Amino acid sequence: MEQVECIVVGGGLAGLSAAYGLASAGAEVMVLERGDYSGAKNVTGGRLYVKPIRRFYPELWDEAPYERPVARELVTMMAGGAHTTVEIASDRFTAGQPQSYTVLRARLDQWLAEKVGEKGAMVVPNMKVDELLRKDGKVTGIRAGEDEIGAQVVIVAEGVLRLLSSKAGLTSEPQARHHAIGYKEVIELPAGVIEDRWRLNPGEGAAHLFMGDCTKGMMGGAFLYTNKESISLGMVVGMDDMRRRRDGSESWQLLDEFKELPQIKPLVAGGTVAEYSAHSIPEGGISQVPKLAGDGYVVAGDTAGLSLNALVTVRGMDFAIASGYFAAQAVLKAKEAGDFSAAGLASYEASLRDSFVLRDLETARSIPNVMENPRLFTHYPQAIGRLLESVYTIDDQPQAGIVKKAWRGVRRDFMSVATVKDAWSMRKI
Amino acid sequence: MDIVVCVKTNPDLQMVRVKDRVAVTEAVPYKIGDLEKNALQAAVDLRAAAGGKVTALCLAVGNRKAAEDVKVALAMGADEAVVIDDPALAAPDQAAVATALAAAVKKIGACDLLLFGEGSTDNYSGQVGARVAEILGLPQIGYARKVEAVGGAVRCERSMDDMLETLEAPLPAVVTVVSEINEPTIPGLMQIMKAKSKPLQVWSLADLGLDAAQLAPTREIVSNLAEEQDRKHILFDGSAAEQADAFVNALIKEGVLGR
Repeated sequence: MEQVECIVVGGGLAGLSAAYGLASAGAEVMVLERGDYSGAKNVTGGRLYVKPIRRFYPELWDEAPYERPVARELVTMMAGGAHTTVEIASDRFTAGQPQSYTVLRARLDQWLAEKVGEKGAMVVPNMKVDELLRKDGKVTGIRAGEDEIGAQVVIVAEGVLRLLSSKAGLTSEPQARHHAIGYKEVIELPAGVIEDRWRLNPGEGAAHLFMGDCTKGMMGGAFLYTNKESISLGMVVGMDDMRRRRDGSESWQLLDEFKELPQIKPLVAGGTVAEYSAHSIPEGGISQVPKLAGDGYVVAGDTAGLSLNALVTVRGMDFAIASGYFAAQAVLKAKEAGDFSAAGLASYEASLRDSFVLRDLETARSIPNVMENPRLFTHYPQAIGRLLESVYTIDDQPQAGIVKKAWRGVRRDFMSVATVKDAWSMRKI
Repeated sequence: MDIVVCVKTNPDLQMVRVKDRVAVTEAVPYKIGDLEKNALQAAVDLRAAAGGKVTALCLAVGNRKAAEDVKVALAMGADEAVVIDDPALAAPDQAAVATALAAAVKKIGACDLLLFGEGSTDNYSGQVGARVAEILGLPQIGYARKVEAVGGAVRCERSMDDMLETLEAPLPAVVTVVSEINEPTIPGLMQIMKAKSKPLQVWSLADLGLDAAQLAPTREIVSNLAEEQDRKHILFDGSAAEQADAFVNALIKEGVLGR
């Protein structure tokens, strides 16, 4: 059997980040990517938080092909025809090195794959891996078609579906309950129109999330990110909720209806839909993170369940890149010690636990449970809208004072046993 | 039999979008065209039957990663590859392409058979094979659906609609092939790995003894858009039967039916 030092299964951000670290240190690396090119199969909302990962591979992040630095953050709660938006545009979001950028994965991943190639790794697109080879419990290589290639370590970054790792018993099979379906359109609009509509300085971007009626009470929400000359508009809906819905609506219908809303229509007016894509998203939180390393393998990125939907911040790509970095460091350590066993690779999990990746997931441990509370997507968006709408409403009757109007709303919608319970369950998010 | 196969990398047509009637090729990856893969496969099959060496010859033409992309040809079975990459060849016309290729074939030296696809997947001019044959003064057979080596000659079969034509040319010769000739194999991982260590050379125009002025385009393609057709925007009301009647009547009125 042909042998290489390291095989990376999956040429997404986690796999490429691992390969970049390994190849930079002179290790022999082969990245196997199922798509026509890196990024071909990836979908993101998407925004990449660059600040957390700047210290890994600092030479990369100033030249990466981003779309726009996010200068303006918006969250809209929508119910019963009322949209309430909280908005913040802070100097700190973009000063110096911006904290996050909107991205399109086809460009970003292809660029990173090229960088990995320049470091001497072999990136093979169009290569579907059929099996992770195991011998006496140790991962010894991969099989692609009829070809078996051995490796001292396999970095499994095959993405959310875990097709290979679950079959090989390294991870559990993904369950609908712990996943969401994300789907989006890329809608082309001229740069000037984008900057006018979202009130942006030239080159700057906005990130806009929506909760409430858009998902018809199902767990999830809609998102809108501004790219250079397009917007990414889509939705994320809990897979279980989607599966159990009774009204027969399809995912794409939700998005179509959303685009037709009088509050949304002017945002997309005149745009041309250039792309449509969908993907599953791990949302199980830290309780669904599998064993991260074993004899002859490590698991990174979405395969390791490293993503975090914290309602107003949605992360995954930064975790993927960080996990790839730590995987590479652990493998290099193992190489130096000549020990690719679980013990030799143990520093991978240790460094993830020390880093923001598993710490932030730990902090957010209760979020997946909180998100299962349907009131989050029905009652609260409606209550907030009702409260503010009453404050702003003038009719032909004598008006109560503003504080009285608001207090009425608070008493009606926020002071029940259920809401107090909700507040208690949310105290840790 | 030593064979040189000319391959071109084209923007992946599946990835090209059209915006305001212009093809958006930014960030679109390149790959070796399907017809060139037929030619490569034909070369590999001929080598299996008659021995010799297969060289893939690729003109970069605006693809800065051509030397990477041409490795697919090596994985498919070519023994070595030559890439002609020169800034002066960013947007050449067919004459310039043929001049550069012919010079490279001369430099490669050993070449009994020169294979091309019948045309490239992007512009599909179908001229380059014939032009190279003329420059090199070689016999050429176009649109072959079968190629075999017979003694010191190449025997080709091509479809002439109502008959099959079998032609023979003495070697060295130029042959262009059509897609029916074979089903190109998709290289496996081992073949891809082996391709990495096969010889690959990158030549500039200077290496070929050419200068940019010789290859300046003699013609400029101003536009190659398909004609735009205005839609009639006619909507029919009524029952399905009424709509069908109205539709047929409209087609007759337009002269589409019942001529």
